Amino acid sequence: MSDIALSGITKRYPGGVLAVDDVDLEIDRGEFVTLVGPSGCGKTTTLRTIAGFERPTAGTVSIGGVDVTDAPPYERSTGMVFQDFALFPHMTVYENVAYGMEVRGDHTDEEIDTRVAETLELVELPGVADRTPDQLSGGQQQRIALARAIAPRPEALLLDEPLASLDKKLREQMQLELRRIQEEVGITTVFVTHNQEEALTLSDRLAVMNEGRIEQVGPPETVYDEPDTRFVADFLGTANLFDGTVAAVEDGYATVGCGDLEIRARHRGEATVGESASVVVRPERFAIDDGRTGGNVFEGTVRFKRHLGSSVEYRVESGNDRELVVVRRSGTDARSVGDRLSLSVDAEDCLIVGA
Amino acid sequence: MATADDGRPGERANARWYALGYPLFWLVAVFLAPLALLVVSSFYVNVPGGSYRPGFTLDNYARFLDVSPGSGWPPIEANIYLRQLWLTIEISLVTAVVSLLLGYPIAYYLARMDRPWLRSVLLVTIISSLWVTYVIRAYAWQVILASGGILSSVGVAVGVLAEPRAFYPGYWGLVVGMVYVFLPFMILTLYTSIRNIDAALFEASKNLGAGPTTTFRRVTLPLSKNGIASGTALVFILALGAYVMPRLLGSSAERTLPVLIEAQIMGESNYPFGAAMSIGLIAVVLVFLWLMVRFTDVTAASLGGEQTVEPDGGRPVGGGATDGAWDRIGSVAAAVGLTRLVGRLGAVVGRIDARRRERLLWTASRLYVAAVMTFVAAPLAIIVAVSVTPEQFLTFPPGGISPRWYVEFFTDASWMLAFVNSLGIAAAAAALATTIGGSLAFALDRYGYRWGRLFGTFGVLPILVPPVIVGVAFLIFFLELGLAGSRTAIVVAHGIFYAPFPFILISQGLDELDRTYEEAAMNLGASGTLTIRTITYPLLRANVVSGALFAFILSLNEYIIAWLLSLFLVDTIPIQIFNSLRYGYRPTIAAASVVFIGLTVVVMVAIDRLSGGIWE
Repeated sequence: MSDIALSGITKRYPGGVLAVDDVDLEIDRGEFVTLVGPSGCGKTTTLRTIAGFERPTAGTVSIGGVDVTDAPPYERSTGMVFQDFALFPHMTVYENVAYGMEVRGDHTDEEIDTRVAETLELVELPGVADRTPDQLSGGQQQRIALARAIAPRPEALLLDEPLASLDKKLREQMQLELRRIQEEVGITTVFVTHNQEEALTLSDRLAVMNEGRIEQVGPPETVYDEPDTRFVADFLGTANLFDGTVAAVEDGYATVGCGDLEIRARHRGEATVGESASVVVRPERFAIDDGRTGGNVFEGTVRFKRHLGSSVEYRVESGNDRELVVVRRSGTDARSVGDRLSLSVDAEDCLIVGA
Repeated sequence: MATADDGRPGERANARWYALGYPLFWLVAVFLAPLALLVVSSFYVNVPGGSYRPGFTLDNYARFLDVSPGSGWPPIEANIYLRQLWLTIEISLVTAVVSLLLGYPIAYYLARMDRPWLRSVLLVTIISSLWVTYVIRAYAWQVILASGGILSSVGVAVGVLAEPRAFYPGYWGLVVGMVYVFLPFMILTLYTSIRNIDAALFEASKNLGAGPTTTFRRVTLPLSKNGIASGTALVFILALGAYVMPRLLGSSAERTLPVLIEAQIMGESNYPFGAAMSIGLIAVVLVFLWLMVRFTDVTAASLGGEQTVEPDGGRPVGGGATDGAWDRIGSVAAAVGLTRLVGRLGAVVGRIDARRRERLLWTASRLYVAAVMTFVAAPLAIIVAVSVTPEQFLTFPPGGISPRWYVEFFTDASWMLAFVNSLGIAAAAAALATTIGGSLAFALDRYGYRWGRLFGTFGVLPILVPPVIVGVAFLIFFLELGLAGSRTAIVVAHGIFYAPFPFILISQGLDELDRTYEEAAMNLGASGTLTIRTITYPLLRANVVSGALFAFILSLNEYIIAWLLSLFLVDTIPIQIFNSLRYGYRPTIAAASVVFIGLTVVVMVAIDRLSGGIWE
């Protein structure tokens, strides 16, 4: 049963700007869903609509089966972690974490004490109750912000780019922490980020947003491997995109003409000859110099090489100003700048998406 | 974003009008109404013997503006009121220009020095003296300038003067006193402006090969133009409305327009004529403001802001495009005097090598700062000395130290009554000012209003009206209501007059307040009111309390409005001191002054602490 349901959510600002455009999304109990997209795509507005900070121009929001579209933020049971944490600077950590229970007035002092202690334990910061926020490091503030949000046991946890202000190492560590705590508490979670890597790592499902709309929703591997649109393919991970026109169609495959070359690619649903289409090839799907001559083969020269740690990325120039991105595991198929090579890819690994 | 349904605390459909209703009641109904009444009553007919009747006559203006030929030449000489109006403008201009020339180097030094604690001490000294009532400060200069006063005694002792002479009352005594009281406004305005210049610009200029003089002329001065314009305008307007200094340090030849207005009201009880002259003074201020807004970037609102001595200027000082007219005014008013002076100095020291030249410049400026700081601080120090002298009159060297005048002050019933009155009025006025300013700031911050900017102007307007005019307007208003001569009348007038201080400080706080804190509170289940109580107010408390303390200290030290509204029935400490000055210089006055100054300094330090170095 879905725990949070957005139906037809539209937000138009007084100036006429359409921030969110007819968004439908159902999130199951205990699920971790990420809204991801470039800045200005409407992901934060959508999250703030769930929290009740924005009232949608059209559509409904329900949490736990109750329509809360018209309820003010303080009459909804959501716990939010803000981008800059927004820890109350005039209160101690204890007072921050206790705040949500105190203002609701439905807990005894002993209950609050116990809950604060438990929650601080959960975020692995049991010793900081008496400190003030400015005495905490960035990572600690992050944990306390999370503790404050979950301490009143809300029905949903909302996270607005909470890791954006942390440095890379800390961010990766916090990603794991966040997922651990979320699973331990079993709370339905909506996470907003512009960082596609974070979205792919953390989520049960992710919703890719663009210009106020959701372009695709699904588990990370599906969205990565089977992007519905050119935007999704381009936004998540790295993609080689070939834009052209469908030249021929046969069961499950189609041939797309892209100027000087033709690519045979897998298609889902209907592809019509003469329609424009894009072909997506993920950089790790290419084979290098495997001796093939027929099918999707590209001859080229390595122009640029970049070590990414566990993998190596090559930029290969192949005909008419076309640059292909190829990624290999470190230590396999090593090539140098200037080397000529031949790249081949199975039609199975090429995917047609709407242009 | 701030539409009525965004779910921010305090946002309900009709709440926006309730929230605005309260401050507008005071600022429009109770402030603009008296000013309107002032305009109307300037056409009333005076009935000799202290009353007037409604009617319409131009006689009051005719008397004020009469330049009928045949009664002398030039025509202006024939009319004492016009002559004194011109004198008022002249003295105000002289005060503004002298303050600028004296103040700029100090402001520059303060802004560029790199010892924070010393800067803080100097600024607090300058700022503290700012709030001490003009009455006490005029009294200090009387002590210094009187025949047999300090200056004359020292002059005789070192042989410069053959015999004791008085330096007051008179034109130059008055100018010294005026510069003394208004210089701090100039310094603080310029300080803010120079401080806002990115220090990297000075380094860039030096890196490109400009020496200190060139850097000053080509970088610092152009970038502080707006500060120069606002500071000069501010001092000019304040000086135009000054009553206490001209009254206590000027001779009968230096009766400025505010002095004449007060005399008409309190002496002659000719309210219509007093009103007509008040309108004349307002007209001068408005014409000047119009010229300034027309020819410079400075706006009336920013000028209102200046007076709060708001520390590092939340307001833009940016030296955007300015008219050629400003350049002309600027080159006349400031650049000529200042750049020439510095330029010549630069030429003199140009022969010395660069490193030593800079050290020399800094040493010279340090000496200069010391001299001006003495000018700012010494008069009040002298009052302290007078208050502990055992004799009736201060002698040099003082004959010892005695608490007798303090004992007299604290045991004298009339001083104590005045003291209690002062504290009570100031506390009530501060509370009123804070509620007016606070609710206006809050309403404007939370809700979008069609006329938001206009309402914001109402918030700073009172402080731009010369106090003597506020006093006359309120007096006529309260006479109609039968409230004149009461503490209530003074509380209401002060509460409105000083509402701009809490308004500006609280607006600033709301501006800087991160809205996410409120959202976090609401997300955690706190309703709008609860959010304001537990989050918004605590985060704004320093601003609210500073605003209230400012209003308190200003009301405590205010003389002319209180005096006009007292109708001889209410005594405050400034009124009591002023009256006592007529009967000689009993050192009890000094003791009362020191207690008052002490109180003022304590409150100022409290404000400073509260806001975590508000002056930085």
